[in-house]
Parts: sequence; structure tokens; C-alpha cells
Amino acid sequence: MMPKILLIEDNEMNRDMLSRRLQRRGYRVVTAQDGEQGHLLARSESPDLILMDISLPAMDGWELTRRLKASDSTRHIPIIVLTAHALVTDRAKAFEAGCDDYDTKPIEFERLSEKIESLLAEKKPS
Amino acid sequence: MNLQNLSIKGKLMLITMLTSSAALVLSSASFLIYDLISFRHLLTLDLMSQAQIIGYNSAAAMAFRDEAAATATLSALTAKEDIVAAVLYSPDGTIFAHYFPNGSAHPSTLPGRSQENGYRFEGGYLEVFRDVTLNGERVGTLFLQSDQRQWSVRARRYSAIVGIFVLISGLFALLVSSQLQRLISRPILHLENAMRMVSTNKNYEVRATRFYSDEIGRLIDGFNTMLSEIQHRDTALQRANDELKTRTRELEGEIIHRKQTQEELLKAKHAAEDASRAKSAFLANMSHELRTPLNAIIGYSEMLEEETRDSGKVENQQDLRKIQSAGKHLLSLINDVLDLSKIEAGKMGLHLETFDVSLMVDEMVTTLQPAIAKNANEVRVRMADDVGMMRADATKVRQILFNLMSNACKFTDHGTISLDVSQSAMEGQECIRFRVKDTGIGISAKQQEKLFQEFSQADATISRKYGGTGLGLAISHRFVQMMKGRISVESKPGQGSTFTVYLPAQVTLDTVEAAQLDGAGGTQAASSQHKSELDTVLVIDDDPAVRDLMSRFLSKLGFRAIAAADGDEGLRLAREVSPLVITLDVIMPECDGWEVLRKLKSDPRLAQIPVIMVTVVDNQAMGFDLGASNYLIKPVDRDRLAVLIEKHRTARSSSVTEANVHSRPAAKKEERQPVEAEVSRRS
Repeated sequence: MMPKILLIEDNEMNRDMLSRRLQRRGYRVVTAQDGEQGHLLARSESPDLILMDISLPAMDGWELTRRLKASDSTRHIPIIVLTAHALVTDRAKAFEAGCDDYDTKPIEFERLSEKIESLLAEKKPS
Repeated sequence: MNLQNLSIKGKLMLITMLTSSAALVLSSASFLIYDLISFRHLLTLDLMSQAQIIGYNSAAAMAFRDEAAATATLSALTAKEDIVAAVLYSPDGTIFAHYFPNGSAHPSTLPGRSQENGYRFEGGYLEVFRDVTLNGERVGTLFLQSDQRQWSVRARRYSAIVGIFVLISGLFALLVSSQLQRLISRPILHLENAMRMVSTNKNYEVRATRFYSDEIGRLIDGFNTMLSEIQHRDTALQRANDELKTRTRELEGEIIHRKQTQEELLKAKHAAEDASRAKSAFLANMSHELRTPLNAIIGYSEMLEEETRDSGKVENQQDLRKIQSAGKHLLSLINDVLDLSKIEAGKMGLHLETFDVSLMVDEMVTTLQPAIAKNANEVRVRMADDVGMMRADATKVRQILFNLMSNACKFTDHGTISLDVSQSAMEGQECIRFRVKDTGIGISAKQQEKLFQEFSQADATISRKYGGTGLGLAISHRFVQMMKGRISVESKPGQGSTFTVYLPAQVTLDTVEAAQLDGAGGTQAASSQHKSELDTVLVIDDDPAVRDLMSRFLSKLGFRAIAAADGDEGLRLAREVSPLVITLDVIMPECDGWEVLRKLKSDPRLAQIPVIMVTVVDNQAMGFDLGASNYLIKPVDRDRLAVLIEKHRTARSSSVTEANVHSRPAAKKEERQPVEAEVSRRS
């Protein structure tokens, strides 16, 4: 069975576009519109990977990442954060918060899918 | 009373009195003594002549042993009041006849027997012996004793007269001297009075009056000259003092004025900074707002292209690619503007990593392929053997080279573009030199001047013909500067261009600068992340008041302040809590601040903790020599201290951030590295 990706993104177009492109690659995709919904789905759907925008309503990406990484049930799920702010500090912040990888918007789909692939590959043996 | 401390007046009078009295007493006494001696002599002669007469008169009576006649003769002496005894001795020495006027004489006071002729003074009496002779034969001896009454009366009387005379003349001398002493004492007393007025009232206009042309007169003249000299100098001094006061007031005014100007400048600076921050925040926001729809445009067009490719609808594919390409061009423009605004806002930080230069160059050239192919150019890369690894911001180095190379491709048609990479030296520092040479249209000297400025493409027509924002070189230039390198150009129109970039092989991070560059947005969050470990400030000062004030001030700024009263405690606490910053006093008992600083800097665990000297000692050179980061002189400018500590906080957070990134496992780092490269490739 193909890996399941939880996509948390508040922008409707981006959410739609990304989920369709991921599905085209064969991934199963679950989407959430805000941090709280994402938090619930992360626990109920047990996805193989989480792709989240950093500026989310209800609960921002940093906070959500911290919560997910603090909980035993979700700690193992790799997280890739997406941010529009291409600041060095954002990258650092992302790793500090516990993210496994980081990418900037606009999405370079090829690059993103490489990251997804490598994180999933890394996860499998363990 | 001590004679020496007597007033001049008293002394003068005393001297006059003593002198005159002594002279008078001496002369009177000598006169008196002379008179009394001669009077006594007279009395002696008189008594002797009397003895002669009585002897003569009583000679017959003695010869005939007529005692009654002899006694009668003696009795004639009653007229002489001073005769107290008259005795006639027989030649054998026995008393023959005697006479005692008052019957008071006692036989025992008389000489037992007759003696030689002559006189003598015996027991206050004058005694005379005289032989009584008759026809040359000694018939007896007469003895007369006188109490010299006249003499003693005279002596007493004369003494009294002399005494009275001395007294009177003394009084007279007193009278005269009390008048005459003024000749001397008056000018002196006047002088003294004048001096007192000068010394108590500090009134140098006082002048002493000169009475006579004697020594005192000259003294007063001298005194007056001295006074006028002092007065002259005093006036000059006063004038100088007044001038100084005026000047000080002027300076104070100047200082106030300058302070005001400074404050205004500071306000203006803050306003400008605020404006700049607002601008960059706006740009960052805008770029986010622009990127979001672009994200959708590029994403959907890519997706559509894939779908059309899969379904074989080739006719739409070209149009979709155009949408994509236009979208990506727009994206690169936005990225350039954002980069520049970040640089201008000081938010562009250096992200140092060690990387293989040739790998990076290969990657970059691969990314460049579409641009190379577009104008049918040939690219030659020459990599010197000695170029290995370098430590720099790889993304920025790649961006610089990509910019130069893509420019070269853009402005060269069917030509050759060469990239030479070699080891070099710049100002004694090991450097990597990148040289990009093309055979393109070239750049005129005038155009070269503005080449690295923002929005200054060589010609307005160029942007129409070749596209681009004209920001590429400006950004490259800034990046090179950030890494403390150098970029230069050599070109002639029609003969191609050569761009040369020197970058240090080991770029170092200027901590404070990096902190500033890193910007507020990210660091604040980062610092709050590390708050518990970062926000301790150690205050080492022996003054409890300073410790208290600093602690309160630091708490207000949101730091945990701990204080040490001496160097040893300070060192111990520094090891225990490894504070963010240490503030250090110099003058302390036992272990002074210099010593503490030396110890701090020689301990590898403590050496990296920034030390801010906070002291009254003005010896910055010493402080910096020993490794202090900053130097503040008491009284401390709190704002400055706050700024310094804040800087150290951000510096530390950014270095922690960097450390975190680099402490990630190597495998992951490699995964992240191609990120920017791919951005470039696709743009």
C-alpha cells in the first residue's frame, strides 16, 4: 500500500494542487485546513508523513510540530514544513521545533517529492 | 605676663622707664655713697680733733691724778649728742675716769684696756683712741665712742630724698614716654590694622598711611606696593575666572545644543530604521502574498503539463510551458527584490558551511545548461588542482557564480564563456578566485561605474532586449561584501567582459554583525526558545549598590541577574551558570577586574563568554587587550548596556542556531544542500 501523507495547508488552491499532484504520484493524501484539524487527523489517521504550511490558523506550524513531537503516538511521523519566508532563521527554527525537513514556497515539486521519498525511505528500515 | 608678648606700646614705655630709672638710681646712689663716705670722714676728723682737745684739757688732771677734774672735762662732751662713751685710761690700762651721757653704756662694751692711737668702726660705732701727753710724756689714753647719729640721720634723709626723686622722675618719664612712644608705635599699629583689614575682608584696596620717612615709613611703602601688586593680580585672576565662567556657560550651552541635535538625529535614525523595517516587512509580506498565487500558477501549470503529456495532448504543452516559464521568471524577479530588501534591512544572514568547490561549480553549470544552450555558447570550466574545500555561504557563492555566468550567457551570442577557479591570496588571506570571462558585447567604462548599483542595467534598452531586473550584480556584489570578498570587472565594449571574484577560503562570522544581519524576527523567537539557558547575566562588582542596581535593571530587561561581590566568587559562578554575558568591575579588593578577566579568558570553558567591563577606570586598551568585548565607563549608560547585552544575546542565539544546523547528521545536511541549487536550476 502506498504511503499516506497528511497535508495541512490553509490556502485552498495550494491544498488542492498539492494534494492532486501527490495523488498523481500515487500517495494517499489526507488534508487538513488548520492546525487543530491537522492535529486531530495526525492522531486518527496515523499518516506516514506530514506536510504542513507553517502559517496556519488555529494553531501555527511551530506549535503543531512541537505537540506532535511531544506525543509518543505521533513522534515517529516525519514532518516537512513549508514556509514562504526564506530566512535562514526559519530553517533553523524548523529544525529546532523538531521538523525533519524544510522547504520554501513556491513549491518545487520535484525537489519536494525527493525530500518526501528520502524521508519515507529513511523511515522504513526503522 | 610674658614680657616678650607685651604690646609695642608697652615695650617702648617699659624700656624708657627702666632705662631712665636705672640711670637715675645709679647716679643718685653713687652721689649718695660719695656724700655719706665723705661725711663719715668729716665726722671722724671731727671726733679725732675733739679727742685731741679733750686729751689736751685732761692731761693735767691725769698727771695729777685728779679724777674729778678729769670727769668734769669729759662732761664737757654733753654738748655732743653723738658721743655715747668717753673713757680715760691710766697708762697701765685701767679706767681712770669715764663719761656715759645716758648711763646706758655698759663697761663690757668698752674695750678692756687702752689701745694704739687711731680710729676704728666697731659694731656700728666709731671709736677713737688718743694718747694723753703732758710735756711729751704719755700720761694716759682717751677713748671716745660715737654712735654716728648725724651720719645715719643724714643717710636716711638722703635716701628718702633720692627715693622720692626717683619716683617723681619715673612718673615724669612715664608721662613723656607714653607720649613719645607713639612716634614708633602709631605707624606700626596702623600698619597692623591695615593688614588685618586686608586679611579678614580680603579687601586689597586698603592702603596704609605713611607717617614719617623712617624705616617704618619704608616698610609701609613696601606693604602698599605689595598690596597693589596683589590687587592687580587679583583683578587679573578675577577677570580670567569670569572669562572662564562665561566660556563654561557657552560650552554648556553648546553641549546642550549638541545633545539636542544628537537626540534629534537619534530620533531621525530610529524613524528611518522604523521606516526601513516597515519597508522590509512590507516587502516580505508582499512577496509572501505574491508567492502564494504564483505557487498555484506554477503548480497547476506543471500539473497540467504532466497530465497533457500523459494524455498525449501535445498542442497545449507549449502554452503550458510558457505559463510556467513566465511564472518562474516572475518568481525570480520577486526573489531578487526580496533578497535585496533583506540585504538592505540587514536581515540577510550568512549560513556558513564547508563544501567542495568543484562539486558546487559542476552543479551550478548543470543548472546553467538551458541558458548556455539558448545563445549557443560554449562553456569552459578550468578548476585548479589546489582548489579543494571552502567554508562560506554555499548558497550565496552559488548564486554569485550563477548570476555572473547567466549574465555572460545572456550577453554573449555564439561565443565562449570560461570560468577559472584557483587559489589566490588577498591581503595576506587565503582566497579562492573565480574568474568569469565572456566574448560578449562588453561594458563601457561609464556603464562599469554603475554596474554594481541596484536597478542600473547598463542601458534601458538592455532590459527590454535581454530581460532581468538588473539586480543580479547588485545582489552578487552585496553577497561578496558580506563574505568579506571582492568583486571587480574588466571590459571593453565589443571585446567581452571579465568578472573576478575573490572570496576568503575560510569566511568567518562577525558575531555582532551576523546577529544584526540575522534580523529581529527570527532571533526573538529563537532567543525565547533558549531563554532558560541564555538569559543569565553575571554582575561582578564589589559595590553592593551597583550590584543591586544592575540586577534590578537587568531583571527589567528580562534577564536573570546573578551577582558576585568579588573576583573569586565571580569565577566560580561563571563556571556554574555559564552566563550569557559577564559585566565586570575593575577596582575590587584582592582579585581585581583585570585579573578576573585574564582568568576568564584563559579558561577554555569561560573564554567565549562576552565580558563587558563596567568601571570608572578609563583604560579601554587594557580591557580589549585582555579580551573584553565591550568597555563602559561608570556611570553606566543603561541604554548602551542594554543594547550591548541584547547584541550578545542575539549573537549567541544565532550562533546556537548555526550550531544546531551543523550539528544535524551529515546525511541530512547533504539532502538539504541541493535545495537552492534546484531553485536556480528551475528559475
